[in-house]
Amino acid sequence: MALRLSTKRLMKELKDIQEKGTPAGIIPLSTESVDEWVFLICVLGDETIYKGEQFALRLIFSDRYPIDCPQVTFIADDQYQPPLHPHVYSNGHICASIFGNEWSPVLTAVSICITMQSMLASNKKKERYV
Amino acid sequence: MDLNHPLLASAVDLLPPFPSSHPQIQRLDRSLYCQICKELFSGPVSIPCGHSFCSRCIRGSLEVMKKCPSCNEPASEGSIRRNRALEEIVDSWEEARPIIHGLTSNNSRKRSIMNTGPKNAFAAESTKRPRKESTSRSVSPVKQSSDKKEEIDGDADDMIALDPYTNMAESSEDVKASCPLCDITMPIRDISRHIDLGCQPIKPRPKSQGRENLKADWKKVFSGAGLVKGKDVELKKITKPNYSLATPAELRSVLQSYNLSTFGDKPALAHRVQEWILLYNSNLDTSHPKSLGALRAKLNEAEASRRRDKEKGREEMASELKTSDGLARYAQDTKGEFERLRREIMERDKKRVGSGAEAPIEIE
Ligand SMILES: [Zn+2]
Ligand SMILES: [Zn+2]
Ligand SMILES: [Zn+2]
Repeated sequence: MALRLSTKRLMKELKDIQEKGTPAGIIPLSTESVDEWVFLICVLGDETIYKGEQFALRLIFSDRYPIDCPQVTFIADDQYQPPLHPHVYSNGHICASIFGNEWSPVLTAVSICITMQSMLASNKKKERYV
Repeated sequence: MDLNHPLLASAVDLLPPFPSSHPQIQRLDRSLYCQICKELFSGPVSIPCGHSFCSRCIRGSLEVMKKCPSCNEPASEGSIRRNRALEEIVDSWEEARPIIHGLTSNNSRKRSIMNTGPKNAFAAESTKRPRKESTSRSVSPVKQSSDKKEEIDGDADDMIALDPYTNMAESSEDVKASCPLCDITMPIRDISRHIDLGCQPIKPRPKSQGRENLKADWKKVFSGAGLVKGKDVELKKITKPNYSLATPAELRSVLQSYNLSTFGDKPALAHRVQEWILLYNSNLDTSHPKSLGALRAKLNEAEASRRRDKEKGREEMASELKTSDGLARYAQDTKGEFERLRREIMERDKKRVGSGAEAPIEIE
């Protein structure tokens, strides 16, 4: 009967999204299970090299969330491809400090999406190193 | 187990938000939320940078990284200090919130006191979270409450006419519901303690005598004597052992001294000690400490829930959550909402694309 802290926090975030919506270009796609969410990410505006593209970001939360960072990857399947970006592997793995030593428990699913969106927005070259 | 139980429903219930017509009050409200758990501060503490969090939240975070989650300034567990002023503010805000919420949202609706309709357990429950505090209130010195409880169930508009010492939060606690585990009926405020105690009957709280108790409350605040010096609440923080050096026997003896299970291998023992110290130490940072019994129950529950996860796997656990009525409906609602949002945005995208070739989605 006692909900885990992680579940409670996630439920809160969901309700928050339900009430306030998400920022432009970030679209909640599925919350099939309580601890695995998928968001569609698009970069807005004319400046971007990702104009018109959509990427699916999958977040998997452990029961230590938000103390521990969720596992975040871009989906790579028939429907979605990860963005061409120096810090994104072709299998969707993302190399970003916010998922390492810069993770903070004050961050949320939506703030992760915003970070990913601006990571893409600031990229000028479609390159993949890995 | 009754899964439509208000307690379960409220476990995922946010306090009702303030309307955007009152940005000042939205800001005040926001400032009293812990940035880690996103709930009103519970046992708030401060660290050297000046940021505040629930004791439990920041202690958990500092175990993983020795810096402030908000500003990255270095911090350590030893630098945690209780923030008594903030705790008093949060406590009073929690009591005042439903009243102010009523004032900001139902300005147009006036009802007389005599006119209040039948009580609705759900409506009342939503004004008061089953906070850790509601458990401990029964062990802390009596808080003032009111004799007019019967009358103030309705709109906050009604409240201003009443004795200023009454408050809605207290009144809602008189609403009864049945325990989701054993089905016995009791006031909602007692349920979490009742469950913590393994479904034991709860003695009714002594009725308070208005101002007398208010005085006592003030005394308590001024003397800083928030902690109940009950038989089983000790006041000293537990110093952390060095887990890597401690032998299983040493860990067991720590556990034994707090009447905890000594079952398991070394990692299990170390984990139990660690969790216990977290619960125990953060319990000392609040004016509404729980009894050791309640803490033990909490530790056991956490361990049992982790075991369940391990045995069944997260996947199944998640789907079980979805099949249980209350949460299922919630998950369904949310999913529906997601679907709607998605469709709406897709629709919008289509329109934009349709109106001009490759028209970008613009920030509104
Ligand atoms: Zn917190
Ligand atoms: Zn800070
Ligand atoms: Zn002082």
